[in-house]
Amino acid sequence: MLVLEQIHTYYDRIHALKGVSLTVRQGEIVTLIGSNGAGKSTTLRAISGLIKPRLGRILLDGQPIDPLPAHAVMRLGISQSPEGRRIFARLTVEENLELGAFTRNDKPAIRADLERVLALFPRLRERLRQRGGTLSGGEQQMLAIGRALMSRPRLLLLDEPSMGLAPLLVEQIFRIVRSINEQGTTILLVEQNAHAALSIAHRAYVLETGTVVLEGPASEVLASSQVREAYLGS
Amino acid sequence: MGMLAARHGLRTGALAFVLLTYLTLIGLPGRLADLAMPVLAGVAAIFFWLVLRRNPQLGGIYGSLGGTALWAGLLAGGFYAVLTAFFAGLLANGVRVQLVFDKIVPQNLAALYAVMPGALLSGELSPVGWLRQVGLLGLAGVAAALLVAGERWLRRRELPPLAALRWLPLLLPFVLLAAVIGLGSPAVTFGGNNQGTIRLLLAMLAVGSGIFAARAVRPGGARRVLWALLAAALVGLPFLLDQFQNSVMGIVFIFVMMGLGLNIVVGFAGLLDLGYVAFFAIGAYVYAFLAAPFSSPWLIAQLQGWGLPVSGPLVSFWLALPLTMVAAGLGGLLLGIPVLRLRGDYLAIVTLGFGEIIRLFMLNLAELTNGPRGLLNIAPPTVGGYSLGNPRDIFLLALAGAALIALVANRLDGSRLGRAWVAMREDEDVAQATGIHLVYTKLMAFAIGALFAGLAGQLYAARQTNIFPENFSLFVSIDALSLVIVGGMGSIPGVVLGALALKGLPEVLRGVDEYRIVTFAALLVIMMIVRPQGILPSLRRGRELQEQGGSRADQPSVLETLPDNAGGSPLAQKER
Repeated sequence: MLVLEQIHTYYDRIHALKGVSLTVRQGEIVTLIGSNGAGKSTTLRAISGLIKPRLGRILLDGQPIDPLPAHAVMRLGISQSPEGRRIFARLTVEENLELGAFTRNDKPAIRADLERVLALFPRLRERLRQRGGTLSGGEQQMLAIGRALMSRPRLLLLDEPSMGLAPLLVEQIFRIVRSINEQGTTILLVEQNAHAALSIAHRAYVLETGTVVLEGPASEVLASSQVREAYLGS
Repeated sequence: MGMLAARHGLRTGALAFVLLTYLTLIGLPGRLADLAMPVLAGVAAIFFWLVLRRNPQLGGIYGSLGGTALWAGLLAGGFYAVLTAFFAGLLANGVRVQLVFDKIVPQNLAALYAVMPGALLSGELSPVGWLRQVGLLGLAGVAAALLVAGERWLRRRELPPLAALRWLPLLLPFVLLAAVIGLGSPAVTFGGNNQGTIRLLLAMLAVGSGIFAARAVRPGGARRVLWALLAAALVGLPFLLDQFQNSVMGIVFIFVMMGLGLNIVVGFAGLLDLGYVAFFAIGAYVYAFLAAPFSSPWLIAQLQGWGLPVSGPLVSFWLALPLTMVAAGLGGLLLGIPVLRLRGDYLAIVTLGFGEIIRLFMLNLAELTNGPRGLLNIAPPTVGGYSLGNPRDIFLLALAGAALIALVANRLDGSRLGRAWVAMREDEDVAQATGIHLVYTKLMAFAIGALFAGLAGQLYAARQTNIFPENFSLFVSIDALSLVIVGGMGSIPGVVLGALALKGLPEVLRGVDEYRIVTFAALLVIMMIVRPQGILPSLRRGRELQEQGGSRADQPSVLETLPDNAGGSPLAQKER
C-alpha cells in the first residue's frame, strides 16, 4: 500500500533521514521504533507531505505522493494524529472532530463516523462541548486519534500516542489502536515505547540516526538482542 | 469593620479621588454649575458600586461592605475637599493656576462650593462648603453599599414579578430613540449648546444598546423581530439627525464596513494585518480615477489621446463598485502571496510596510495621483439624476454597505471556509493535516477582507469628494484594528460597537475640548483592563473566557488571543 524508497530529508544542512525505505501492506499495523532524534517523526512528516524529501520516492498504491502538498496527501486517505497531541485547544471537542472530516461533504456518513469515534472513545462523548485544551492528556490523545479517524483514512499515521501518558492509559490507547486496525484501517505507528508498540504490531522497523537498522515481524524484533539492549532495558 | 474594610475602602476611595480630580481638571464642574457637586457624587457612587459589586467576599451592610463604602466615600471626600481648598487658596491669593490647569478658574471652582466666584476670590469660604463635599461623597459611598446590598437581596429571592420585568431593558434602545426624536423637535430645549451633542450621543447609545438587546434575546422568532425593529429604526435614524450628526454617523459606519472586513482577516483567520489601510486607499483611489479623471494629469493625457471627453466621471458610482472591489481584492492577493509563509509578528511588520508603500505610491506617483495635491471633485453617487452626496445619504449608503458586509461575514463565519479559517488560526500544521488548503484559505481571507475595505474606500472617497495621500496614513489601520479589538475580536456586532466607541465617541467628546483625546485614551485603557475580551466578544471567545472563569489573571488578553499561531517561541507551541 505505502512504499518509501530511499528517502533522504534535510533540515537546512542537517541530514535527518539517510535513505529510509519501508513498506506498509494493506491491513497491517507497522511500527517504527527508535530513540529520540532517530528520525521517526521526520519519516511521518515526509509521508504526510509536511516536509519534502530531497531524494527518494514515496508511493501510495504505486503512485508517487511525495510531490503533493499536505492537504492533497490527506485527501488520498492518509491521516495523521500528530505528535504531542496537537489538538485545536480553543475549539470544542465536537468542533475538533468536525474539522477532522473537513474534506468530506456527506453529512449522514460524517454523523455515522462521529458515532463510531465516540463509541471507540466514550470519554469524548461526555466532553463534546468542552474545549479541547481542558481535556486531560489521555483524553487529548483520544481526541487527536479520533480527529484523524474522522476523515475515514485508509492509512492512519500515529505519532507517539503513548507520550506522557500513565501506563494504564497507554494500555487502553493501544487496545483501541488494535481495534481500529481490526475494523480495517491500516496503521503506521511511531513509538518510543517499543515494548507496547511491538506487542500490537505485525511488523516493525528500528530506526537509528536516520537509517533503518533492523526490520522484520514484530515478534522477531522483540526477541532480537539488539533491540532488547537498546530499548527494552534488559 | 475590620482591617479588610479599611484597606479596601482606602484603595477604592483613592481611585475615586483620582477620577474626581480628573473630571475637575477637565472643567466638568463649570459646565454643571450648581449641580456640580451632586453630579460628581453621583459619578463617585456609580464608581463605588461597580467596584463593590465585584467583591463578593465583602460582608453585609453593617459589616465590611458598609465599612468599605464609608471609608471610600469619606476618604475621597476628604482628599477632594483638601484639593479644592488648595486651589481656592491659590486663587484667593492671586496665583494664576489656569496657566497650568486651564480649567481651574474661579467660576469652575465656585461651582463646587455652590457660591459666587466673588466669594471664592475673597477667600471667605465657610466650612459648610467643605463639609458638603465630604458629606456628599460619604453619602455616595453609603448609597453604593445600599445598592450592592439591595442587589444581593434581590438575587437571593428571585422574586417572580421582578423576573417578569427582565424584558424591560429591551425597551432601552427604543426609549433612547424616542429621546433622540424628542430632542430634535423645536419645542424641547435642553442642555443649551450641547443639545446636538447629546442627541448624537443618544443616537449612538440607541444603536449600541439595540445590539446588546438583540444579543440578549435567545435566537429564534423574538430575536428576529427585535432585529427587524432595530433595522427599521436604523433606517429612520438618518432622517432624524442633522447634517453634522449624519456626517459623524456616516464616518462611523464607513469604519464599520472596514472593521467588518478586517475582522475577517484578524478575527476569523487570525492574520494580524497592520496595513489594512492599503485596501481602503486602493478602493478610494480607483473610484477617484474613475469619477474624477480630470484631476490626474496622466489620465487626462490618455483620455485626450483617445479623443474622449475629460470633463466628467467615466462611470457612475454603481458601475464603479465592482471595479473598485476587484481592484482591492487583487491588492489583497498581491499582499497575500508574498506573506503566505509568515506568521504572527513577522506578518504584522510586512503588512505594516505594505500599507505605507501604497500611501507612498499615492504620494509620489504624482503623474497619476496628482501627489499631495490630491484628486479633487470626486462625483457623489446619483440615482435617477439625484445626487446622493449629502451626509444623510452617505450615512444611508454606509448603513446599507455595512448591512450587506455583515450579512456576508455572518454567512462566511458558519461556512466551510469559516471553519478552515478557525483551524488555520489555531494551528497551521494540523489544519493542513486535516486537509485544509492553506494557500487558498489564507489568500481568500486577505482577498475578501481587502474587497470589503475597497468598498468602504469608495464610499469614503465619495463622501470626502477630495482625497489626499494623508487620508490613508497608518493611523487608519490602527483605528480599524483598535475598533475590532475593542468591539471583541471575531464578533460582528462587536465591530459596530467598536466603531461607535472609537470613531463616534471622540466626536461626542468634543464638549470637553482639548481634553478629548486624553479622556478617550483613559477610557480605552480602562476598557482594556476591565474587559480585555472586548465589549461584545464572539460566542466562541465568550465561551472560552467563561470556561476559564475565576480570576482575571488567566483570561487571555486580546494580544494572547491574537493567534500568532506557532509564530512565537517554540515554548509557547509546546504548551498548546
